[in-house]
Amino acid sequence: MSESFPGAMAVVETRGLVKRYDGQLAVAGIDLVVGPGEIYGLVGPNGAGKTTTMRILATLLAPTAGEALVCGIPVTADPIEVRRRIGFMPDFYGVYDDLRVWEYLDFFARCYGVAAARRRSMIGDLLEIVGLADKRGEYVEALSRGMRQRLCLAHTLVHDPALLILDEPASGLDPRARVEMREILRELRAMGKTILVSSHILPELGEMCTSVGIVDRGRLLRSGPIDEIERSLRATAVLQIDVLGDDEAVAAADAALRADERVGDVLRIDGAPPGATRLELPFDGDPEQQAELLRRLVEAGHRLTGFRQATSDLEEIFMKVTGQADPAEAAA
Amino acid sequence: MTGVGMHTPRRSAVREWLAAVGTILVKELRSRMRGRRAFAVLTVYLAILALIAYGVYAVVAPGARQAAGFGGVGFGPFGPMVTNPSATIGQWIFTLLSIFQLILVMFIAPAFTAGQISLEREKQTLDLLISTPLRPGAIVVGKLLAALAYVFLLIVAAIPITAIVLMYGGASWEDIVRQQIVLFAAAIGFGAVGLFFSALFKRTQAATVLTYCTVLAFTLGTVLIFIFWSVMAARGEDGGFRRARRAPEQVMWVNPMVAMLDVIAPLDPTGFGVTSVLGQINGERFDDQGVICRGDVCFGNDGQPAPALDQSFFDGHWWPRFTATFGVLALLLTLASMRLVVPAGMRFAFRRRRRAPPAEPRQVLVAGDGTPTIEELAEPPR
Repeated sequence: MSESFPGAMAVVETRGLVKRYDGQLAVAGIDLVVGPGEIYGLVGPNGAGKTTTMRILATLLAPTAGEALVCGIPVTADPIEVRRRIGFMPDFYGVYDDLRVWEYLDFFARCYGVAAARRRSMIGDLLEIVGLADKRGEYVEALSRGMRQRLCLAHTLVHDPALLILDEPASGLDPRARVEMREILRELRAMGKTILVSSHILPELGEMCTSVGIVDRGRLLRSGPIDEIERSLRATAVLQIDVLGDDEAVAAADAALRADERVGDVLRIDGAPPGATRLELPFDGDPEQQAELLRRLVEAGHRLTGFRQATSDLEEIFMKVTGQADPAEAAA
Repeated sequence: MTGVGMHTPRRSAVREWLAAVGTILVKELRSRMRGRRAFAVLTVYLAILALIAYGVYAVVAPGARQAAGFGGVGFGPFGPMVTNPSATIGQWIFTLLSIFQLILVMFIAPAFTAGQISLEREKQTLDLLISTPLRPGAIVVGKLLAALAYVFLLIVAAIPITAIVLMYGGASWEDIVRQQIVLFAAAIGFGAVGLFFSALFKRTQAATVLTYCTVLAFTLGTVLIFIFWSVMAARGEDGGFRRARRAPEQVMWVNPMVAMLDVIAPLDPTGFGVTSVLGQINGERFDDQGVICRGDVCFGNDGQPAPALDQSFFDGHWWPRFTATFGVLALLLTLASMRLVVPAGMRFAFRRRRRAPPAEPRQVLVAGDGTPTIEELAEPPR
């Protein structure tokens, strides 16, 4: 059924997926392929279409056009069969807080038709995995946010699904809980689950994902193994240069920078140390070429107090990727 | 989750569906019946009914005894009482208990169901529930039954109080059965109304308000419509009134009050002439001498229990019409709620599959070094 994975079928596959809400395009033609055992991170700002894509795959929304397949089953044709194969954790969700922790998992295990004999031991195993074994008899109400998040993650596993769809599993968690969540995902990956996870924080995904897709305005701008994406992004770094001196000196440095064909538009930004001006510019070159640029600036007599690559958090990567705009080009 | 291989054996559709309803029931009852609240409500409910029974006794008994002293003719609070005094007490208790219980059920049943689905939306738990393989029908029916289970408990728990009347006489076990049927039908019907609005609206508040509006419309609204319609229909062309025309009785089929009046009509201790009220609705004719006729049997309108009414459990009674109407109503509303719970755009997708299920992607966990691996995820090409 899938050309891209002859032999082993893709766990998730979408072809030209489109979702329109009241005339607004939330998803504008996403082609996504996630192979078995992959941890695929979907990155993008709020409103990029991550949640919509995931909800379509979780059979909670019907696509306006295009096709979405989970384990080769079209989500609109047979949602019940798809649901048996996925565990879904939405970005916002509540819990039944008047149930005990084990009852909560027991309920969902029943929903998936897990046999009574298996439920008891499985709930123990799951609570072990998510680190809630000692909370078994407590009311869900009494759990902290991080614990609820882990309980919700546990509920996605009751039927041992092939695919986990986790929408922002680390959002709203404190740093410690984030680390715990990451550890759990790593463990699940070791168990061979295919995981589709979304986040707006790239480094977080970078540590655990095998592949990443960058989504913006309903389009998949880049998709591929994480190191490949990083390499392609490293080629265009954003540099921050602090120039010491008056306006004249800064203007001279600015002109020198603009003379370099690898440098894009130079901006003055805040945050420079006293007496200096901070310039920010996109630079199309690897670290070698960055060093070369620095050497030339210093040799030309510009007085620099800082020269660094801006930490590439998602927003800047977005600026870069979305700056190229054309998704066809980005995909190629 | 070492060693938890997942391959749920496929069950028949019906058993799967029943298991799903059971799943919802167990979960709902676990949270509903826990703690003191459920038992406190039950206690208060029974206490109110017991008080009513005692109060009726305290008010009616002196009049009944007086009647006995005057050779069987005495004066009750609302008129002359011409029966066995003990039976009179029993009939009064039965009448008032029936009406009060109906009113309580009309208010309690929607209160339990009007939040069943909208609360899941408000607490953002509905997505988790919908994304399980539970069929929407099973979710809706499970929710309805779970909410009504408690109302049924209230109704059934009150039977012993109602059964006091068997001791006094004047009402039979058949009367109690009829009363129970009407109460259950009212609970199911109004419960389904609450559930429907709960599925329709995002907010529980809106669902609750509209549900109670419906309760009022069914009980008071239908009466107003009936009277207005009858007056309009009976007005002759010359401006005079002709008694023969009245509104169609179907207007009152959804009115639980009329059904309960029918249940208590054979007893009719009030002297209000419940039978003649019913006669106004279902078209029993009054002949020239003011005698009510139903079918071939005519009897005087003097407050005597109507002999024709007691002859059959069903025939000539009003309550089966109400019960049937409410049954159909509950069914339709439950089906509608089902459609509302299905995610928009997925509606077509919930028919039972005809073709053979695709092979389950099986995860074979290799136990040797404890490292689980996926051995086979793909299904064989079709």
